[in-house]
Amino acid sequence: MRNRQDDAALVAGLVRGDETAFRTLYARHTPAMIRVACAILGDRASAEDVTHDTWIAVLSKIDGFEGRSSLAGWIFTILVNNARSRVRREARSISFDAGGAEDGLAAAFDGRGRWKQMPELWEEITPERIVAGRRLADHLLAAIDALPPMQRAVIVLRVQQDLDPAETCRILGISDGNLRVLLHRARLALRNRLADLL
Amino acid sequence: MLSCKDVAARASALIDRELSMREALQMRLHLIMCRGCRHFVRQVRLTDRLVARVANADQPPDPGPEKLLAILRDKRPPGR
Repeated sequence: MRNRQDDAALVAGLVRGDETAFRTLYARHTPAMIRVACAILGDRASAEDVTHDTWIAVLSKIDGFEGRSSLAGWIFTILVNNARSRVRREARSISFDAGGAEDGLAAAFDGRGRWKQMPELWEEITPERIVAGRRLADHLLAAIDALPPMQRAVIVLRVQQDLDPAETCRILGISDGNLRVLLHRARLALRNRLADLL
Repeated sequence: MLSCKDVAARASALIDRELSMREALQMRLHLIMCRGCRHFVRQVRLTDRLVARVANADQPPDPGPEKLLAILRDKRPPGR
């Protein structure tokens, strides 16, 4: 987890109007914010709007940030609240269910629960590696975007943004048990996609 | 004795250190004996690392932070 000292330096930077601090935060969180907003709203244009509005709110409220949550947790709380109020305002009906009830491994085992085909060791795996004409990073981002909405939100907050489990549950309004199931399914879906590619 | 299927189902809990002592021990015993499951758990860990590394591989939207920087500049005390 990112440390609170780093947070404190960035907050102090924003309070005094330091552009470098803002650019750092913007680059660190914006793609993930759009991804999480998109999971809630269902379309990218609205997700970009909500993300922009969230940054405006962050800049105007930063003086009041007390560090009770991490800075990232605070930003994502504002984002998710903004996205959800937009859903309500526009009376959108978004199914935000877990989706993907299976872990995609049902066919991988024999009747005694042993691997039919043993998983292999992946070697030289870097995001820059080219697979089927595209960078592995592009395949992986596409696979993240293809996850059911709640799994997408969970993998982005827990694994990409490194938020702690309690903070992730609070932001998304889900239980700890729910978080574990969603995270496990998301990880396995992405692992299975990579196994198909490699 | 855990099966490979059981190990796969607990891979996330292992990575997040959420297994009980007993379960963790059972997992370790299985992993010592089973190369397939060792590879599988490594694959899931590697998936996490790749997900974290591609976090910002996609481009932020236009117009980027420029409009927001104007708001930030307004926050600065006069004279800076």
